[in-house]
Amino acid sequence: MEILFYVFATVLVGAAIGVITARNPVHSVLYLVLAFFNSAVLWLLLEAEFLAIVLVLVYVGAVMVLFLFVVMMLDVNVESVKSGFTRYAPVGVLVMVIIAVELAQVIWVRHMGLRGVGELTPMPADYNNTRELGLLLYTEYFYAFELAAVILLVAIVAAISLTMRRRPGLKAQDIARQVGVRREDRVKLVKMDAEERQ
Amino acid sequence: MNFVSPDLSPAFAEMFVLGMTCLVLVVDVYLKDSQRGITYVLSMLTLLGAAAITATSGVVARELTFSGHFVSDPMGDVLKLVVYATTAVVFMYSRDYLRKNDLFKGEFFMLALFAMLGIMVMISAGSMLSLYLGLELLSLSMYALVAFQRDSAQAAEAAMKYFVLGAIASGCLLYGISLLYGMTGTISLSGVSAIFSSADQFNIPVLFGLSFVVVGVAFKFGAVPFHAWVPDVYQGAPAAVTLFIASAPKIAAFALAIRLLVDGLGDLQGGWQDMLVALSVLSIIIGNLVAIVQTNIKRMLAYSTISHVGFILLGILTGSQEGYAAAMYYAIAYVVMTTGAFGLIIILSRKGYEAEHLDDFKGLNSRSPWLAGMMLMLVFSMAGIPPFVGFYAKLTVLMGLVEVGLTWLAVLALVFSVVGAFYYLRVVKLMYFDEARETGEPEAALDIRVLLSANAALVLLLGLFPDGLMSLCIKVFQ
Amino acid sequence: MLENYLPILIFLLVGAGLGGVLLLLGFLLGRGGKDAQKLSPYECGFEAFEDSRMKFDVRYYLVAILFIIFDLEIAFLFPWAVALDGLGMFGFLTMAVFLLLLVVGFIYEWKKGALEWD
Repeated sequence: MEILFYVFATVLVGAAIGVITARNPVHSVLYLVLAFFNSAVLWLLLEAEFLAIVLVLVYVGAVMVLFLFVVMMLDVNVESVKSGFTRYAPVGVLVMVIIAVELAQVIWVRHMGLRGVGELTPMPADYNNTRELGLLLYTEYFYAFELAAVILLVAIVAAISLTMRRRPGLKAQDIARQVGVRREDRVKLVKMDAEERQ
Repeated sequence: MNFVSPDLSPAFAEMFVLGMTCLVLVVDVYLKDSQRGITYVLSMLTLLGAAAITATSGVVARELTFSGHFVSDPMGDVLKLVVYATTAVVFMYSRDYLRKNDLFKGEFFMLALFAMLGIMVMISAGSMLSLYLGLELLSLSMYALVAFQRDSAQAAEAAMKYFVLGAIASGCLLYGISLLYGMTGTISLSGVSAIFSSADQFNIPVLFGLSFVVVGVAFKFGAVPFHAWVPDVYQGAPAAVTLFIASAPKIAAFALAIRLLVDGLGDLQGGWQDMLVALSVLSIIIGNLVAIVQTNIKRMLAYSTISHVGFILLGILTGSQEGYAAAMYYAIAYVVMTTGAFGLIIILSRKGYEAEHLDDFKGLNSRSPWLAGMMLMLVFSMAGIPPFVGFYAKLTVLMGLVEVGLTWLAVLALVFSVVGAFYYLRVVKLMYFDEARETGEPEAALDIRVLLSANAALVLLLGLFPDGLMSLCIKVFQ
Repeated sequence: MLENYLPILIFLLVGAGLGGVLLLLGFLLGRGGKDAQKLSPYECGFEAFEDSRMKFDVRYYLVAILFIIFDLEIAFLFPWAVALDGLGMFGFLTMAVFLLLLVVGFIYEWKKGALEWD
């Protein structure tokens, strides 16, 4: 178990470094996919099955597709954007060290007088993580759950209002209107007296 | 399963606002452009209904529901009423401006209502989870509103900056929350508070978590050094959106600070007090000094906001009930003043032209003595000149500081308020003693004129008779 | 619980191993140097005209983001379906409200024409 964790964690860190060092942005995105996948495995090792699957489903399956779109849409010289990397790298390393130290502190906090999360015990083989999550999420946490729906709704409204643009004067086919057309709309029979022969 | 359905009644106002916003959303897509007025009326009815529900709920004590994720208390009710009123005022000021600039679309009202719902959720948050979700709801709507004027490159740039910096700040807040959760094992604010009241409080990890949380709060307030977005967003967004961003979200930031720092981490006051001292001192100094050199009035008001935020933080950092009440009073007074000032900018704007340069105020007195008079009152109040509300708000905050023995802070704040008075008075000089660049009275509909007059009158009345609101603010913190 | 995932771990190892072996075989057995001509993009015998990266219509992005939103919605349905027998009426209504909110969003995008491509 320990070994598995270290293998996947190493790949995760390597992939994360790949994201920021790859020259080609498409490669960066692919590294990010690898990073997400490995974090999903780490979650799985923590027995959080559902979260692991959702991470693959949503992040790898959908969000990264969007990232690829965006990367391809960016019609910019990526090399020039990345030129500041060495300049900002020391600051980044500093932040990384600080965050790592903090995480270590929090993990050891059990010895410092606070309650902490406590020891974790593995669940039996028939333990259904997804079900337990569902039992909590739709009852105790239903307020947060409904708020998530509202946030998704705002995302729909925002995305559409910011990117939808109807081009005027487009000659598009409207099948419903084609099918729904009646004879009277197209042909008009006009009764008129015959013209007198000249 | 032994789950008991929670009591929904404390959240009726939120449910009503959500339901009505969905109704607005659905009705609006079926409307023609010429019928957009219906959306406006429906939005106003939403605010009216919500105000009626909140005002009649009559909460006297703290009530928790939804498994502790929702808290309803008198402070929440007062703040919510202020937010409804602010949003209604924003809608009224904006209506004609939006029409003139082809922005009169349903999305403006929906997004603003969703943002308001986010503020309400934050005000009533009983756990760090609902606090964060409310904040995200508010922020997402705000990003979209700033970018709302799609053909304006300036607005797009402002939205981009706001979004990137806002995402980092949300990340900081979330990281701080996760650290606190890791240490306490609970996300409910009362649970966190219970643990910290008995544990050793000043170990290093707690301070780490606390500082990330404070960074998140400071960003949402726009306090120095997390203020970089404020001037750019104020300047880049259409004036109607700026009016909204400058007003209601400050109430949300106040609620965020009170819920997190006082309700949840009240026992760590010794830890966050020093951080807030640094934030507020920097905000007051930089806000007031940089505002002097601005030529764009939206930017100038942005830096003025930063200095006002410094004062609100000063009230909070006292850690006393009087201080919180003073901060709340200051936040409400700030919202009243700022809606008036931006409302005036909106009135002076024309189609495709934002009256955002200080020069646009030149000789306003000769064009419209009434408008100049209103602006005079608002500006005097912001500068803290008696008898306007700004003076009384500053006074109570400073008194709160002196009471807890932070006299040096009070003196410093006082000195920089005097420095700040310079740029406020420059606006007065421009209006009354300079030649007008253009002639003709700015046109404004009757209801907007009445609203602006009422707004300025409120600035004066709250300053002359501050006791009503002040005693309310004190009462909700007892 | 994790024992259940042993086949997947084996699958992953076999997959990674097979991929690695095939790459290695290609590398060892393949002939020919990789000169600049061979590595350059092939465009019907012409020199490449322009960069393959170009501006996409923003509507691709809109479709993708709308997809993500409903993808997330479905992700929320899984635990609900698994736990439904233990949730009772309240849990059922919770999901009903959730779906109702997203149906409102769906009506909005349908009527706005976001699902059409002109």
